[in-house]
Amino acid sequence: MPEKVYIGPYRPQLVEPERFELLVEGDRIIDAKMELGYMHRGIEKLFTTRTYMQNLALAERICGICSGVHTLCYAQTVERLMGVDVPERARYLRCIYMELERLHSHYLWFGILAHSLHEHEIFAKIMGEREIIQDLFEYLTGNRINYAINTIGGVRRDITPEKAEKIRKVLKTLRSLSDYIMSLLDDNGVLTKKTKGVGVLPRDKAIEVGAVGPVLRASGVTSDVRKDDPYAAYDKLNFEVIVEKDGDLRAKSLVRARETYESMKIIEQALDNLPSGDIAAKPGEPKVGEEIGRTEAPRGELIYYIKSNGTNIPERVKVRTPSYANNFAILAMLRGEYLKNARAVIESIDPCFACTDRVVVVDARTGVRRIMNLK
Amino acid sequence: MDKISVYRFLSAGCNACDVEVLECLAPRYGLASLGVEVVEEPEKANVLILTGAGTVKGREALLEVYEKINPPKIVIAVGNCSITKNIFDKGYPIIGPLNKLIPVNYYIPGCPPRPQAIIKAVADILGVKIEEREEWWQTPEGFRGRHEIDREKCIGCGACAQICTADAIEVIDGPEKRIIKVNYVHCTFCAFCQDECPTKALKLTGAYHLLTNDLQKARVENEVNLLTCAICGGTFFPEKQIDWALKRIVEEKAPIYRDFSSEILDAVKICTNCRRSVESIKKAKRLLTKLSEKARATVLRK
Repeated sequence: MPEKVYIGPYRPQLVEPERFELLVEGDRIIDAKMELGYMHRGIEKLFTTRTYMQNLALAERICGICSGVHTLCYAQTVERLMGVDVPERARYLRCIYMELERLHSHYLWFGILAHSLHEHEIFAKIMGEREIIQDLFEYLTGNRINYAINTIGGVRRDITPEKAEKIRKVLKTLRSLSDYIMSLLDDNGVLTKKTKGVGVLPRDKAIEVGAVGPVLRASGVTSDVRKDDPYAAYDKLNFEVIVEKDGDLRAKSLVRARETYESMKIIEQALDNLPSGDIAAKPGEPKVGEEIGRTEAPRGELIYYIKSNGTNIPERVKVRTPSYANNFAILAMLRGEYLKNARAVIESIDPCFACTDRVVVVDARTGVRRIMNLK
Repeated sequence: MDKISVYRFLSAGCNACDVEVLECLAPRYGLASLGVEVVEEPEKANVLILTGAGTVKGREALLEVYEKINPPKIVIAVGNCSITKNIFDKGYPIIGPLNKLIPVNYYIPGCPPRPQAIIKAVADILGVKIEEREEWWQTPEGFRGRHEIDREKCIGCGACAQICTADAIEVIDGPEKRIIKVNYVHCTFCAFCQDECPTKALKLTGAYHLLTNDLQKARVENEVNLLTCAICGGTFFPEKQIDWALKRIVEEKAPIYRDFSSEILDAVKICTNCRRSVESIKKAKRLLTKLSEKARATVLRK
């Protein structure tokens, strides 16, 4: 007789409030449902009540972990609407800030993964060592999490030679942290035992549910907006798109661990080749029309759509966040999984419900129920 | 209180504050060394930490959790969303501020507050002193903390209130004075006001330890005198702003009009209502003719 198990919504085992309903037989999950909306704040409506400049702070607060990439994607879309040409130096600086953000986001994910696998020592070590990157952000931008670094037309704070030196120093320390994480994931690693074969998402299924970012790349699909549709200065920087074949939790961990090295490579290249010049161009007038922008957030592809009526307030802003696309992957992975692994599987996509919930109610009218109960 | 058990309740924020609360558990900050532990059930907790602005959907759960918290039921609101709803103020599902739903004892402002601020706040609440030996207790240069207004420099123009992303800055015109009120518990600390300030009077400082239990005191204010209209005697514009604008016109933008500075000053000292009178329009036209003659003469001489 199958029984129902509920996870959440307000359980601090999950970082954010979300409710999962699992149908369990024995110790296996046979079906999973999810209820969203605990974090819905009506941001898309709020976007249409503020000016383009003021919306930067709002875009930043969609998500507190990948806050920078939200403002970047928003700013890039508005720049296209306004016909602003971003200075070369600002493009490189954007790459540096965004890759630093990817590093901090990936390390945070490893911390939370270790926590959900009850590896509290690893959790404490990773969370402790990743502090230096938050300190670096505070030093570079004036705040640890909501950096407010991007503006329409460029960035707001420059990287001086002393700051560049400090970044290089921090990267050296982070490299050893990445090495440590890689050692946990090698054939006899502590995390390997607990993650191998857990929450497998086969390649076909990953494409079918529309997964993005590291989740998709861990299932053997090469997809990265930085390569496919380069923005900022990514077309001039040399890096590799990391792909793993297995599709399980270990593959997802490996993708993220190896990506941290690529991010460091990007930052070092950008620092070496930093062109001189302005860090921001003056914003112009938005033309009447619509634009779409996309970036590769730490969690995957992030899309902004903005419709302008020529005034200084956007008429419509639509955001498609990576976690929203990946949520359906959770349901696919939970089916057939052991109940004890449920939490790790949910954490495996690096869910960011602050991102997701802003989207879900927009779709409510067309039938959220239908979408949530994937067959 | 011997032992503090904290239950975290996140209700519709951006997550940043919640991450910072978790960050406090890292060995470096040592929340645990203050005798604080984070528990996973409200029944085991005696302190409730709130983050996020509060939504319709989380309302029942919040009230339920508050019921279950053990005495002394200390409630701490971390971050500006839980204190004043911050940038989500006018969002349709937002029901906060949370102190309307349940009694809140302490507020830790910030967007998000640094872990150092949270640790200091907890230490203050417990009455413990912490040593700040390490470098990371200091704020780096360019840190965006509490605002400070330079009373000498501020001209009361209100540009900061115009650009403000979260309606944190209010401009209140009284009978004689204009008050610029920075309500920093409603602020996102984006520093657009600092960038926008024409006289660089408004600055975000390194002050981050902002624990308070009285929201009325959590603001930075400045007063500027308003100018009286030369015709009707009513107040309409800050004195300093007129001086600043005039100085900018005759010294930076158009030095050729320097001889006319007293006449320009007379023209701008008239309030918007009186400017529409026939006499004022005639006077203004005469001044404009003079100015354009002067400009033409200068151009011809060149």
